[in-house]
Amino acid sequence: MPWLTPFQYDYMVTAMWTSALIGGVCGLLSGFVTLKGWSLMGDALSHAVVPGVALAYMAGLPFAVGAFISGLLAAGAMAFVKIKTPVREDAVIGIVFTTFFAAGLLLISVFPSGVNLKSIIFGNILGIAAEDVLQVVIVSALCLLVLALKWRDLMLFCFDANQARALGLRVGALHVVLLLLLSATAVAALQAVGAMLVVAMLVTPGATAYLLTDRFGVMLVIGGVLGAVTSFVGAYASYFFDGATGGCIVTLQTLVFLVVLFFAPKHGVLAGRRTLRRALAREAAP
Amino acid sequence: MPAVSTAAPAAFPGFAAPLTLAAIDVAVTYPNGLTALRDASFRLEGGTICALVGVNGSGKSTLFKALMGFVTPSRGRVEIDGRPVREAQKQSWVAYVPQAEEVDWTFPVSVRDVVMMGRYGYMNFLRLPRAADRAAVEESLRRLGMWDFRDRQIGELSGGQKKRVFVARALAQQGRVILLDEPFTGVDVKTEEALVTLLRELRDEGRLILVATHNLGSVPEFCDQVVLINRTVLAYGPTAQVFTAANLTRAFGGALRLFDLDRSTVNDHDGRQVTVLTDDERPLVLGKSGHLEYLDRTGREQLISDRENEQEKK
Repeated sequence: MPWLTPFQYDYMVTAMWTSALIGGVCGLLSGFVTLKGWSLMGDALSHAVVPGVALAYMAGLPFAVGAFISGLLAAGAMAFVKIKTPVREDAVIGIVFTTFFAAGLLLISVFPSGVNLKSIIFGNILGIAAEDVLQVVIVSALCLLVLALKWRDLMLFCFDANQARALGLRVGALHVVLLLLLSATAVAALQAVGAMLVVAMLVTPGATAYLLTDRFGVMLVIGGVLGAVTSFVGAYASYFFDGATGGCIVTLQTLVFLVVLFFAPKHGVLAGRRTLRRALAREAAP
Repeated sequence: MPAVSTAAPAAFPGFAAPLTLAAIDVAVTYPNGLTALRDASFRLEGGTICALVGVNGSGKSTLFKALMGFVTPSRGRVEIDGRPVREAQKQSWVAYVPQAEEVDWTFPVSVRDVVMMGRYGYMNFLRLPRAADRAAVEESLRRLGMWDFRDRQIGELSGGQKKRVFVARALAQQGRVILLDEPFTGVDVKTEEALVTLLRELRDEGRLILVATHNLGSVPEFCDQVVLINRTVLAYGPTAQVFTAANLTRAFGGALRLFDLDRSTVNDHDGRQVTVLTDDERPLVLGKSGHLEYLDRTGREQLISDRENEQEKK
């Protein structure tokens, strides 16, 4: 049975379940990212971790540590420029993340070491090393734990930060927690789909789920499941296409989004037309 | 459901004890160097409805934010029941009803979800709602007549219904100081009347209701006290004493339109004048001797008979 062939190879099995884990965590978090309006921030952080990865490999440290520190530095730099200047936020993000990304490219090209530029930018889940799998698992487990414990507080922070403040919750801390989660998942997703496509993992499942439900909790679950399933299937499919895993995963996520965009029962394009037609028919009726 | 009515008092323990809200020499300077407010002082007791009145840019919303603990005063302090705002927040004493524009109405939350957000302070670390939380949410939604809409996404409501949801949240929170920001903007007359009735009930329960508004005409109708703001607290106290043409002109300056009806053709010319102050919303009407004119006369029968006596004497 040819469609079971990928399961005969250890590297394929590892790639599939690791992708599913990363995709699931990213999918869960994408609910917050899309509703908080942090899509651009996700894109920025995924590029900003590149110099950290390069330096970590050079120093022989776990890549996740370097990437994480790099991401936080970028987030701090954005906050600093935003507070100190009247430059608009999207411009600030644009300046900072391209700077970090450029620094990463420069580091890798000037000091060629074990790190492969292509695998950072496009991901290399099929060739992931065992210790990198371990790092991904730890990062994902931590994110899942924090989300499981604090998703309601984070929801309140995204929906109505003033109410959170009025109840004495630490809004600044919640902001930082969400930013940490975003950096951590960006680091993990770097392995699966590469810096270029991380933002898709952090946005598309959430946007798809948003069209399918009016309840935040349900949206998170749908986003998480969508992320996990599309990543698993995408990694599986990449074996047959002999194509980039990241490309397969993200293309699949986009296909699901398009189907939902048109056919979602309430918020889909067709449902919208149906509602409009009915309303017009009611108006026309005597 | 009898279970609800018996559960409700247990869910609202001891709210009758009114507390005080005091601003003491509050000054707020923003990082850009703008001082929005200076030397703002006033003191209010529970069991009152107080309006916070000032034009846009008067520091009204800054004062509001300072009272809520959203901005930290650069000088002076705000005290609730003699304690810092932060402690009052942790007791869930401070409830906030935001302006409609501040809310993301497309957020995937139901009416019930939003009201449940008032209960976070009573929940544990995981914010899992318990029976008392559900009972408080149901009780509040029923009181606002929104129970039938509990599963609606919040964007699928009318302007008045949206406002009710957030007032229900403040109720579920059992806020003892309830701050409402421009509560009547975009709200139908029926809801406005229902809200005013509810605010009076809440006042009679000993709560302190603070309403930020630039809608002058509605203030005398339902506010017992007024804090008048223009970069500082110009005056505060009972509405009839504070809401004088002189004070309002100081607070509003050129932002007000002043109709001198004495020169109109519909008025008998007896040397006194009726003044209409308006900022293009509901107008404020001052009678011939400078007293406030009321639309809603319930509870003011004494005042009206006094004025009639005064008329007869002439």
